[in-house]
Amino acid sequence: MSRPIDTPVLDRPAANGAPAGGPRRRRPARPPQDRAGYLFLLPWFIGMLFTVIPFFASLYLAFTDYNLLNPPTWIGLDNFAEMLRDPLLHQSLKVTFIYTFVSVPLSLAAALGVAMLLNRGVRGLPVYRAVFYLPSLLGGSVAIVLLWRYIFGLDGIVNAFLGWFGIDGPGWTTDPDYALTTLIVLHIWTFGSPMVIFLAGLRQIPGMYYEAAAIDGASRWRQFRSITLPLLSPIIFFNLIQSLISSFQTFTQGFVMSGGTGGPAGSTLFYNLYLYQQGFSQFHMGYASAMAWMLLVIIAAFTAINFLAAKYWVFYDN
Amino acid sequence: MVLSRRNLVKLAALTGLGAGLTACGRGFGGGGDGSEGGGVQLNMVWWGDASRAQKTQAALDIFQKKNPGVTVKTEYQDSGPYKDKLATRFAAGDPPDLMMMRMDSLREYADRGALLDLNRHTGAVGVSGLSESVKSLAAVGDKNYGIASGLNTIGFVVNRTLTEKYGVKIPDGNTWGWKDLATFAREISEASGKKVYGTGFEPATLANIIVYTRQRGEDFYTSDGRLGISEATIVAWFEMVEAMRKEGGFPPAGFFENIGGGAEQSYLAKGTLASQIIPTNNFLSYNAAAGGNLALLRMPGETTEKRRGQSIDTPALWSIAAQSKHQAEALKLLDFLINDPDASKATGTTRGVPANAEVAAEVKPSLPHDDQVATDYLIALQKEDLPRAYTYPPGSSAIASSLESIATEVEFGRQTPQQAARAFLDAGRKALGG
Repeated sequence: MSRPIDTPVLDRPAANGAPAGGPRRRRPARPPQDRAGYLFLLPWFIGMLFTVIPFFASLYLAFTDYNLLNPPTWIGLDNFAEMLRDPLLHQSLKVTFIYTFVSVPLSLAAALGVAMLLNRGVRGLPVYRAVFYLPSLLGGSVAIVLLWRYIFGLDGIVNAFLGWFGIDGPGWTTDPDYALTTLIVLHIWTFGSPMVIFLAGLRQIPGMYYEAAAIDGASRWRQFRSITLPLLSPIIFFNLIQSLISSFQTFTQGFVMSGGTGGPAGSTLFYNLYLYQQGFSQFHMGYASAMAWMLLVIIAAFTAINFLAAKYWVFYDN
Repeated sequence: MVLSRRNLVKLAALTGLGAGLTACGRGFGGGGDGSEGGGVQLNMVWWGDASRAQKTQAALDIFQKKNPGVTVKTEYQDSGPYKDKLATRFAAGDPPDLMMMRMDSLREYADRGALLDLNRHTGAVGVSGLSESVKSLAAVGDKNYGIASGLNTIGFVVNRTLTEKYGVKIPDGNTWGWKDLATFAREISEASGKKVYGTGFEPATLANIIVYTRQRGEDFYTSDGRLGISEATIVAWFEMVEAMRKEGGFPPAGFFENIGGGAEQSYLAKGTLASQIIPTNNFLSYNAAAGGNLALLRMPGETTEKRRGQSIDTPALWSIAAQSKHQAEALKLLDFLINDPDASKATGTTRGVPANAEVAAEVKPSLPHDDQVATDYLIALQKEDLPRAYTYPPGSSAIASSLESIATEVEFGRQTPQQAARAFLDAGRKALGG
């Protein structure tokens, strides 16, 4: 059953003087309910201006040399050409890509795994859900990153634990070979928000499919492969896109962990952190704007690829 | 929850759009050029903590009493966000009248005409009480874009409690060399069974390597704004630190964490380091945190190398915006902060020893004992003949981060000092544009 969206329920024939039985025309004045709606939206529209104006300003600035203090000067594509040559930019891309492509699949797998465990009718589900969700709320916060720095410090809890087994642990946050790994683990730990979405999705799968499969003798793995995954695929797809986008934009973790430097030795120099350094430490705001637009292009490209690939693996029930 | 294809596309498109639309929305107080009762309101910004705020306000209260009709609205915050905020305010055409300026940001602003040339206003701000090296801190060519808000330098502090405990003699702080430091550090580490490392400092901290560079007869930044440090000096610096690390006098790789924080969180306070380099204006807080038995030494090598390396520095400059609408009043406030003993009595040494030597001498007796030690150290240093240091050229923040990066590469043995030195010079030349 469907109702055409563009036929407002309120659009009844006008009472005063409209030719009865004639062709239905839209009244020139909007119904008062519409006006109220727009009125309520007004704060959002005003708020939008603060987003839209900088949005287009940054597009312009991307093609300029702008040091914040003097008026921007147009330099065409120079900023983008510079990106091809800038070794630190390449380093920041490398860090961001490694971070994204390792942590996103792992955190989605963790989210799905925990969601399936919780979906087996655990008592006190809301409590567990809240407990597992908690890290997502905290994971991006400064306090937690600082706490992790202590846990993973040279004399931290992790190394004390390893010490019991005679292992001399490295400085997990100070050694350039391990700092990014530590951040990836921190990210995987914050699987709460995809988990909640997975949990809701799992609830939608009718139990009868599993019953029927069980009667036919399908193993649990088989049920997972042939029922859970296909029926959950739109949700997986949604979570994948969401996680990719947010992961490409990582900033806080790298900033706090390294005190804003992207160190040790550039190993946590996330793209957005480098963008921030360029804009605010080195006064290269034109270059920083160009970088922001490049990130948009990169994210759009990956999202587009995902949508194209989705045809082959995402299954819609309706 | 019904996810149709269409809804999903919409959702994803919305979040994708959100990705591009990240706006930086940090709140920011506007400039204060509103007038109250016909008077002038100055806007003054600085970085620091609550205790500095209290002292600063005390000084401003005196200024306002002495100058009826001028009110000062101040804003302060941590140094990190301060930097962003200042840049944003200039970009918005709403700069503060008087501001605290980092040495390494000075020319980013000054070279673009954003700051007032104080040499054209010497009548308004007296500089007769400043020594030549203090006057030259913010000098670019024949112009001057700031005055030191206070003076400091770096010094070596040694924890006497630890040296007595382990029976190690502290070298003579006026004549010791880098070799003496290495010997001292090794002795402490050995005597303590490596529970305490003899010494430790960040080889990537500019102030540290600059002293060493100057001692070798080179300027880190030259008068024409280039990198003057030679490859050989960078190599020697890192080799010296790595040699101490190998002997055990210096902590292992990964030991120093970027935890920030003040004296309380320092390794000196924790008792894991017997000596380290500190800015002298922090002597009081380090001494309090480390048990009150610190000795303040000069940097090693001051008499054993080619020439003197230490210099008179400032934690921050006071600068005035070229666009300030109340320049006369801002200059008056600056003059008060620099030359009026009442101002320095109120602020103490929160920004270092008063830049004006007469004021410093007058204020000294009212300071706590440890601040007097640091003040004496600096007064003595000012009387000596030190080679001139030059302002940090624009691009120096990129140089600082590059130095930090290569220091880590060396620390973990991923690059030899030679490779690191070459990489640093390449990056440095590029950052300075040529």
